[in-house]
Amino acid sequence: MYTSVTNRRNFIRKMAMLSAMTAAASMFPGILFASEQEERIPKDANLDWKKGPCRFCGVGCGILVGTENGKAVAVKGDPNSSVNKGLLCVKGYHQIMCIQSKDRLTHALVKKNGRYVKTPLDEALDIVATKMKDTIATHGKDAVAMYTSGQSTIPEGYVASKFMKGAIGTNNLDCNARLCMASAVTGFLTTFGADEPMGCYEDIDYADYFITWGNNMAEMHPVLFSRMLEQKTRRGAKIIDFATRTTRSSTASDRSILFEPQTDLAVANAICYEIIKNGWVNKSFVEKHCSFSKGVTNMGYGLEDNYKFTDKPEKIDFESYKEFLKEYSPEKVSKYSKVSVKDIKYLASIYGDPNKKVVSYWCMGMNQHTRGTWMNNLVYNIHLLTGKISQPGNGPFSLTGQPSACGTAREVGTFTHKLPKGVVTNEKHRKLAAKIWKVPYERIPSKPTYHATEMFRAVDRGEIKFIWTQATNPLVSLPKTSRYRPGMEKESCFVVVSDVFPTPTSDVADVILPASWHIEKSGLYGNSERRTQHWDKMIDGPGETKPDAWMFIEVAKRMGYGDLFPYSEENHVEEIYNEYRQFHEGAKHGMAPLEVLKKESGAIWPYVNGKSTQWRFNAKYDPACSNGEAFHFYGKPDGKAVIWQRPFEEAPEKPDQEYPFWLNTGRVIEHWHTGSMTRRIPVLHQAMPNAYVEFHPDDAKSLGIRNGENIKVTSRRGSCTLPASINERGLPTKGQVFVPFFDENMLINDVTLDAFCPISKEPDYKKCAVKVEKV
Amino acid sequence: MRKRLVIISLFIVMFITFIVIWNFSYQKGLEDAYIPVIDTPTGNFIPSESGVFKRFDNTDLDYSNMPVDENHQRTLKDYYDNRAYPGAPPSIPHPVAKERSYGGNTCIQCHQYGGFVEKFNAYAPITPHPEMVNCRQCHVTKNTNNTFTEFAFAKADPPSIGEGINNAMPGSPPMIPHQLQMRESCISCHAGPSAPEEIRVTHPERINCRQCHLPKNTELHKVDVSTFLRQFDKINEK
Amino acid sequence: MPIKSYLAHSVIGKKEELMIALKSLDHCEVIPAKNQDVLALVTDTSNDKEEEILKEKIESISSLKLLSLVSGFNTPQN
Repeated sequence: MYTSVTNRRNFIRKMAMLSAMTAAASMFPGILFASEQEERIPKDANLDWKKGPCRFCGVGCGILVGTENGKAVAVKGDPNSSVNKGLLCVKGYHQIMCIQSKDRLTHALVKKNGRYVKTPLDEALDIVATKMKDTIATHGKDAVAMYTSGQSTIPEGYVASKFMKGAIGTNNLDCNARLCMASAVTGFLTTFGADEPMGCYEDIDYADYFITWGNNMAEMHPVLFSRMLEQKTRRGAKIIDFATRTTRSSTASDRSILFEPQTDLAVANAICYEIIKNGWVNKSFVEKHCSFSKGVTNMGYGLEDNYKFTDKPEKIDFESYKEFLKEYSPEKVSKYSKVSVKDIKYLASIYGDPNKKVVSYWCMGMNQHTRGTWMNNLVYNIHLLTGKISQPGNGPFSLTGQPSACGTAREVGTFTHKLPKGVVTNEKHRKLAAKIWKVPYERIPSKPTYHATEMFRAVDRGEIKFIWTQATNPLVSLPKTSRYRPGMEKESCFVVVSDVFPTPTSDVADVILPASWHIEKSGLYGNSERRTQHWDKMIDGPGETKPDAWMFIEVAKRMGYGDLFPYSEENHVEEIYNEYRQFHEGAKHGMAPLEVLKKESGAIWPYVNGKSTQWRFNAKYDPACSNGEAFHFYGKPDGKAVIWQRPFEEAPEKPDQEYPFWLNTGRVIEHWHTGSMTRRIPVLHQAMPNAYVEFHPDDAKSLGIRNGENIKVTSRRGSCTLPASINERGLPTKGQVFVPFFDENMLINDVTLDAFCPISKEPDYKKCAVKVEKV
Repeated sequence: MRKRLVIISLFIVMFITFIVIWNFSYQKGLEDAYIPVIDTPTGNFIPSESGVFKRFDNTDLDYSNMPVDENHQRTLKDYYDNRAYPGAPPSIPHPVAKERSYGGNTCIQCHQYGGFVEKFNAYAPITPHPEMVNCRQCHVTKNTNNTFTEFAFAKADPPSIGEGINNAMPGSPPMIPHQLQMRESCISCHAGPSAPEEIRVTHPERINCRQCHLPKNTELHKVDVSTFLRQFDKINEK
Repeated sequence: MPIKSYLAHSVIGKKEELMIALKSLDHCEVIPAKNQDVLALVTDTSNDKEEEILKEKIESISSLKLLSLVSGFNTPQN
């Protein structure tokens, strides 16, 4: 009987809602309600819609997945999500199609005599646990390593950290976010002492100018770009594109300014020079809230194995900073940056105008940079000098590329030097972790070991004997895979790969573990604007697939750490999240409770007294500000943000006689990262079936290259053959070629250079020297 | 004598003023007689990419506020009837104003911004490429219904439309079933009162069309993928 | 067991805030309008007392400008 009563109530509720809408329609002719979107779904589809975050980039759009008879059949944007307000991009709309791919990894595969043999999952996990235990026994704790992902969920990252650092006691844990976000992290830490952006996406609704630094948002963060375009048409906001390549974003922006690779450092300093010269400095803000520092210069590029670097910050005063900037007058900078004096002054005048609100956006152009940390610092300098920060519509905003680069990699801290709160080098932080994890604090080592690039160098050198990767595809995404692929193939290292699909990385695995995809498990992601989003399992995964977190727990149990992981299989996501939340208690980083996250389309941390904090460091919005002033940069002990003196330094490898072209790599709108998911979505594959090498038409003409001809791109490290593309998706500057890296059949990372930013250890995929020839 | 001089100089001043004014207005008149020619693609311009955003300038048409005039809308059938085959340049279905005129002076006057034309009781379709002004290089009039000899060309069927035909999943955005060359500006044919009713977009204000809608059949060159071959399937136990 | 529907008018520009506030309350179902500062709200409570408390809670939300009742239903308790 009960069902009929609830059905009747449901009916009455629907009637009530309908009457409210009808009333509204008579008051406001033409009114539209969010749920009317559902009408686009054919009437006969009896779909059940479940909310979650998108699987792909760091924007973190809210999605609704339509399921029918236990299968996911449709996706639409979540109209209640304040991130995307019901709109998605083409990848988002089709994401669930990949899981039906026929080559899905459904069972564990163990390599026996050079062949992969289907093995029951329990047995495969036994093999992994035994191998790990044996390796530790014979070679020590630091012979095993784990390489995770910014696509791991928060509970997965947390368990990985607890397992490696708390249970085993090694810092051999790093993740692929090192390849994309590390410079943003060190940039935030050096300038503000607290990671992640201070603003949020709502800045878009207030800003007058959007300045994008080396960032093709129309293709990489399309939903945010659409929000910018909307403001452009509605309020006349302006988009300024500052880049090394003309892209779809350039064609949509009000002004496109091109610069010579690596000279963004000089241009940023020139903007500061102009701001000071013209008296556009917000004096009271700088006096109250900023200090000045300089660090070590000529740091090198990390090209040699076992490279070590520590910065030595030194306080300076405003006068010596001003003196330093004299080298960066627009006239001097324009000579080597190829940006006209007029354009530099134009950029400075936008930042300098006290009546204009400016947001700077950047992603990989600034982060994947051998001086990435510096470059992040320099953009903060501009915003700090003018006081345009931490206010609605004003601020620097570092975008992310992975759905949980912030939530998992940065907040949980799946880096070698990180703990869920703080760093391993800090005794207090180790003690806190030990207390929550219930392990002896001496077990957590105080010294960081290998960052991503160095980890794979150590595999190649034979120091690491066991490596386990999850939800990542390093043999497509690492720089200089021409070294690291043979390295991983060596007998000396036992390779375990957890993934959803076979990839070039799983090709070198000794054991392949079948992972659940996104909606086949529950989880939490954290996006670029500090928004934590939860989703419940929507459908069952095929075969013996399991969530990554559960596979870690199973292996940990088999290794005798069962008491540290007392979670239940059905409910582990909730249990782990509640344990993890203890790390971030307090006004500076409080996380929203799970009940809130289940109900809402995400919440922004610091979540204090039931409220998201949209603008950090601003006393008006942030309850953690405690100095009685309008702003408080509480990440630093003195409450002041640091303006860094960072010079221009050359790239490690520049075009020369033998290798005359710059090589730039990146993405396209159709594919996400290494394409292991998006290439399995027919719509996306059909639109962009393979990678290409893009030329400036003048270069193509002088080399006699025509569209579609096969071109061999060669560097000192390796080569790759791709079809030429002229005047298609993008237009590199003269003397530069561009290649997207998604294509596992055309591995451009065999060609790239593994030089990295000495502070963040993030490699530079955007600059190396190559030659090109027709084949 | 002085009086006469004054009168003469007065006339001279008036005459000069007249000439100046007349010249000025003549020059102005000349300018107005030409629709300014839009920049042709040079330099930092990507033909296949720029078109999408082209007509969203503040100065251009306001597509989000255009009326739908149900009594005078085109159908997709009319649209394709006017083309020799899908993708062919449409022929001119009406008598042309000046046979010897340059398109920039004539055609463009109606076809750049569209609008209702009393004479033909229809809205003028908007061209996706107003910068190309030699219109009649590709578009010809139809002066007879006869053919020269018997005719065996079978017109290919136009791409079909409808729920589930061009989209991969229920409710997902449809893909683009036609080529994009010369038709990069989506909005020209898919919005406004001259858009065929079947393909009129519900959300012309979105601007970045190819965020969600991709070409179905790409023109990219298919290549040999043997440079790097995954061995996985060869050694996998089936 | 009363079920009532309202139109909730938000303070200009604070629709999102109002929606979040309403969603965090139990027994509330909200559908926001896309182009007006208005939300359609349905409350579904188990008795009149609860209904009254909920209404008070709703009316104390600062981003709410006006709450107008559209329709009400009451089903006998069983």
